[in-house]
Amino acid sequence: MTPLNAKIQEVFSEPACGINQGKSEKERKKGCAKQLQPGGAAGGCAFDGAKIALQPFTDVAHLVHGPIACEGNSWDNRGARSSGSALWRTGFTTDMNETDIVFGGEKRLYKAIKEIGEKYDPAAIFVYQTCVPAMIGDDINVVCKAASEKFGRPVIPVNAPGFVGPKNLGNKLAGEALLDHVIGTAEPDYVTPYDINIIGEYNLAGELWQVKPLLDELGIRILSCISGDGKYQEAAYSHRAKAAMMVCSKAMINVARKMNERYEIPFFEGSFYGIGDTSEALREISRLLISRGAPEELMARTEALIAREEAKAYAAIVPFRYRLEGKRVLLITGGVKSWSVVAALQEAGLKIVGTSVKKSTKEDKERIKQIMGEVAHMIEDMTPREMYKMLREARADIMLSGGRSQFVALKAAMPWLDINQERHHAYMGYDGMVELVRQIEKSLYNPIWLQVRRPAPWDGEGRIAKLGMAMAAE
Amino acid sequence: MMTQDADKVLDHFELFRGAEYKEMFANKQKNFENRHADGEVERVREWAKTPEYQEKNFAREALVVNPAKACQPLGAVFASLGFEGTLPFVHGSQGCVAYYRSHFSRHFKEPTSCVSSSMTEDAAVFGGLNNMVDGLANTYAMYKPKMIAVSTTCMAEVIGDDLNAFIKTAKEKGSVPAEFDVPFAHTPAFVGSHVTGYDNAMKGIVEHFWDGKAGTAPKLERTETNAINFIGGFDGYTVGNMREIRRIFDLMNVQYTILGDNSEVWDTPADGEFRMYDGGTKLAEVESAINARGTISMQQFCTEKTLELIANHGQEVVSFNHPVGVKATDEFLMAVARITGHEIPAELEKERGRLVDAIADSNSHIHGKKFAIYGDPDLTYGLAAFLLELGAEPVHVLATNGNKAWAAKMRTLFDSSPFGVNCKAYPGKDLWHMRSLLFTGPVDFLIGNTYGKYLERDTGTPLIRIGFPIFDRHHHHRRPVWGYQGAMNVLITILDRIFDQMDATTNNTGQTDYSYDIIR
Repeated sequence: MTPLNAKIQEVFSEPACGINQGKSEKERKKGCAKQLQPGGAAGGCAFDGAKIALQPFTDVAHLVHGPIACEGNSWDNRGARSSGSALWRTGFTTDMNETDIVFGGEKRLYKAIKEIGEKYDPAAIFVYQTCVPAMIGDDINVVCKAASEKFGRPVIPVNAPGFVGPKNLGNKLAGEALLDHVIGTAEPDYVTPYDINIIGEYNLAGELWQVKPLLDELGIRILSCISGDGKYQEAAYSHRAKAAMMVCSKAMINVARKMNERYEIPFFEGSFYGIGDTSEALREISRLLISRGAPEELMARTEALIAREEAKAYAAIVPFRYRLEGKRVLLITGGVKSWSVVAALQEAGLKIVGTSVKKSTKEDKERIKQIMGEVAHMIEDMTPREMYKMLREARADIMLSGGRSQFVALKAAMPWLDINQERHHAYMGYDGMVELVRQIEKSLYNPIWLQVRRPAPWDGEGRIAKLGMAMAAE
Repeated sequence: MMTQDADKVLDHFELFRGAEYKEMFANKQKNFENRHADGEVERVREWAKTPEYQEKNFAREALVVNPAKACQPLGAVFASLGFEGTLPFVHGSQGCVAYYRSHFSRHFKEPTSCVSSSMTEDAAVFGGLNNMVDGLANTYAMYKPKMIAVSTTCMAEVIGDDLNAFIKTAKEKGSVPAEFDVPFAHTPAFVGSHVTGYDNAMKGIVEHFWDGKAGTAPKLERTETNAINFIGGFDGYTVGNMREIRRIFDLMNVQYTILGDNSEVWDTPADGEFRMYDGGTKLAEVESAINARGTISMQQFCTEKTLELIANHGQEVVSFNHPVGVKATDEFLMAVARITGHEIPAELEKERGRLVDAIADSNSHIHGKKFAIYGDPDLTYGLAAFLLELGAEPVHVLATNGNKAWAAKMRTLFDSSPFGVNCKAYPGKDLWHMRSLLFTGPVDFLIGNTYGKYLERDTGTPLIRIGFPIFDRHHHHRRPVWGYQGAMNVLITILDRIFDQMDATTNNTGQTDYSYDIIR
């Protein structure tokens, strides 16, 4: 078995994954991701998953080894934010050509690493494997090792070529790359009893910064965020944290679990989406820190902060409630958002008529049932046509979804709000929840939706007369 | 020290602008980051602007930084979507297809339908035949297309999957009916770029209908008419352009077939109906297109192989390079008139006069200005030619996907005008090369796609957004850039930026506002 295959098998038998544990030995070997359906509209690949999981590391040069396809169509498409270096947004690729494919691309890769070092002097270089070099047998592990030694700079192989599976597998393989080559390779200048890691948080639209002040107020230090607004060095010494919060559980559960195993860092799965969830997460962080030796008084301070912030957030939502009460929401997202946002929206009086569970784990689904009841309408997979039908039949007043679905919603005359990676508003934490409610309210009551749902005034019989009547009525 | 204030949390636009953060960053840099001295950072920043750095930059052999090109299948998907009821089907890994859909949706603000055969590692080892068989069957059953146009990702190309044989086998196994149209094209990403892919897919579709549908139907016989065929090529302005071209053809009263018309599928109305397919060239029209007297391509480098195929069937073929401006539009209209035998109507002549009038009105503002342009080979040529016509100098013209033939053609263009003396074309270079060029040979304006905003930020050269993709401005694709009216739009776009820049540099109260004028 090749090292990559061994790694994939290892990820597939992740003991912290509930779905995996429910399977027989034979099924487990088949892999955890749903088999892709040839000919069906599909999401991203393993490479994409690995890239988006790690790209938010800001001071790293992200070098894509492959033909132009992988980077040419996708560079700088991540809505994460950086408080420092902007290097992560630069598109680096080896742009392999036909000759490289015949004679092998390793030399080109080595040279490209050298050239990045000379021109950009980054904290580290992450090298992403893609389908074609993987198939012709370019060994990026060896090239990265040789380059690290030669140039005296961390060069990290991220071995997740697209063909090994879907996006989520890539997320996990990215985590493995961190575990194998980054985490535990440096020491922080100092440690405190209040050091935590946040894993699987990407600082989309800068939303980590909405939560950070809460932690700051409690004296809790984010030793490392993997990977939102992250720095290479922080990930390298993240093994010294006292506790960890696992945010996007499907993406990097293996990182949290293995860090627990190797460095005895306890972790919990939580979310900062929604008022109740944010409070729960803060409590859990404090609880874990106390269990690792932080003073007990931390909990009292945490509860005080929660009480204050919850009261404030609810007060801020009240004015919206009468405009939102009973409005029906359809959620087309995935993973942790499929349930964490549900709870949040219910707080604002909204009714969730369906949530997509395509990218959700068994635990995610369980939580949805807990929150929405057994009748929860879980949508496994949806073609644009089915989605359109659902929206068209007006079983929802607004759809919350990502970039690829929003335009379908518009054709069905459906108000929509973008809550995936391309969004520009930050929805995390107490203030984020208020912001989400504000944005939903804004979207729902935008005057264009009336226009969108109304036929042209001169349609049908008695055209102008009808127009006149309509105008008179208004 | 307060950083974020929990009472009023700021979002990413405002957060770091406060004094507290500025101070914190300064302290952090001073005490913890072990940075080079400010002077040293400044020295290197300045050094990266020198000819010496440029020389090293241009000596790069392996690394491509910020490429201004995409891959073949993206172009193939573009071409395929221009046909009636057609679903593009990309044989290979599925992640690539997710990129194409996002890429087009972000530019056109429309859903983009495309599927893949979702090849995984097993398929990479054993070949993707099963994926093709299942994939075609699923696509046909789920999305009910009138045609499935197959192209490939590099993965399928590296293992050498034979599309012709695979599609044949899939039909034998009943994935789709034997007579169902499944044209195909091999589109490896490691050769050429999206414009090559457009060409390959377009050729595949034309060849399919004209040359016997992969051996399943008789080849078509040609009976010449005085109609023409029109191919737009890979074009970010296709929505506006196609409608303008139709208007022009209708005014000229010519019989025409547009081969590949994406203007409907990427501009469907919000009237409560989701159109997975809309508009496009009718399949019967593709067949009858063989009878046309000639075929006009607006983008030579997008259609080299397609035009060769068409010429081999006895048609006259004429190609342009994304024609923008008076002379380029004249040549286009005259070619149409000559091939079809129809007059250019007075109305178009009047439009021409209006364009000339507008250029003359504003000539002093553009005359002598220096520009840098990057983008696809044909677009950069068309824009450079227009700038020369306006008396501007397109000093640096760069195409990551341009080849030697393109560079030679650009040289000929430069040599044809006194304004082209100091101009140079850069084939195969990327946007990091352009960055050096903008430092060592500064220009007044940069023309390029959305990615040019980083060059604008780094070099201070104002960006005029013309190209593909445009992600950070909306609806530009709805306006034509072809025809006299299209050239007018380009002229206005350029002038707006010139005046904006003039205002921005003169609006300093009491300092520069002696030139902050109402009338420009």
